[in-house]
Amino acid sequence: MSRYDLNVLLYRLKKDSAYRARFLTDRTGALAGLDLDAEEYQAFVRWDMRRLNELGGSLHLLLSIPGLAAH
Amino acid sequence: MGRLVYAAAMSHVLFPDYYGKNVGPHGRKMVEELIEVVRDMGRDMLAARPDALVVVADDHLNVFSFDAIPAFCVRIGRSVDRMAQDDAIEFDQALDGLPARYPVHEALAHRVLEDGLEAGFDLAASWAAPLDHAFLSPVATLCGDRPAPPLVPVWVNCFVAPLPTARRCAALGAHLRRVIDASPWNVALIATGGLSHFPELSLARVGESDPAFDRRVIDWLERGDHEALRALTGAELHRTGSHELLNWMVLVGAVAGARARVRFFGEMGRVDLAAVEWTPAA
Repeated sequence: MSRYDLNVLLYRLKKDSAYRARFLTDRTGALAGLDLDAEEYQAFVRWDMRRLNELGGSLHLLLSIPGLAAH
Repeated sequence: MGRLVYAAAMSHVLFPDYYGKNVGPHGRKMVEELIEVVRDMGRDMLAARPDALVVVADDHLNVFSFDAIPAFCVRIGRSVDRMAQDDAIEFDQALDGLPARYPVHEALAHRVLEDGLEAGFDLAASWAAPLDHAFLSPVATLCGDRPAPPLVPVWVNCFVAPLPTARRCAALGAHLRRVIDASPWNVALIATGGLSHFPELSLARVGESDPAFDRRVIDWLERGDHEALRALTGAELHRTGSHELLNWMVLVGAVAGARARVRFFGEMGRVDLAAVEWTPAA
């Protein structure tokens, strides 16, 4: 996954409330079929914000996803 | 001929609850003091009876996405909306209750855009981008319950690398000044954001600021040492968490060497807060 793709997924979590709700209730289902390597997949499954940031995820997206941000 | 009748820069999260939650009582108290200063600055700004208010600020990936991030963007059109975000985080809860729509000074916006392209500034234009707290928290605080002058929002990409350079941002400010001086309007110009916070845009370092760097910046502004500011590198801005200083650099270019009056400077820890004004030479 590229920095672009990772951030597109974070942006979708911020802006698409239906997708965000699915991610919150069925994380593996919401991630199915996405082009994630194992490390990225695990970071999303665990919602490891620090690791997502280290992998190139935008700080401002990570800080502003409703219900998932820890500001 | 037009005139730059007011010029200032200020931090833009003017929301006590945010600092109360994330910093504690001293953070709340400090931003409340800053808000009082910005309200006073707003009285001066509106007393100058500007026909338009140009606001230079950044987007926090609220408006633009990784599909396309303009280095600089001018908002055109007749009006601009306040950003709507479901379940907004604290920053943007500051927008709750503000007017949903603001007039745009369409003629000035077009001059900034079209004269900019003629002068070599490849500005993006948006007819639809809404405004987040970076624009509206300062505008609302400056204007209070008085109507805001028609706006000309200008975005600077402060967060998605590669960023424009400090020198290029100052050059854009000089362009804004030429447009204002050649126009028939009295114009107020503000930049928002900062000072240092979120060094390296690292989640692990949220909560840190760089007071030593911020003191240097404030000193350069007070002394009118604009070349020191123009020479700041992207690496320095990133390391210190001074990304939003790029917005301030546009003002530095617009005021053409004028010395800043520091109306507020506070070292909070999580972020350092400031507000400055310039009296630009005619």
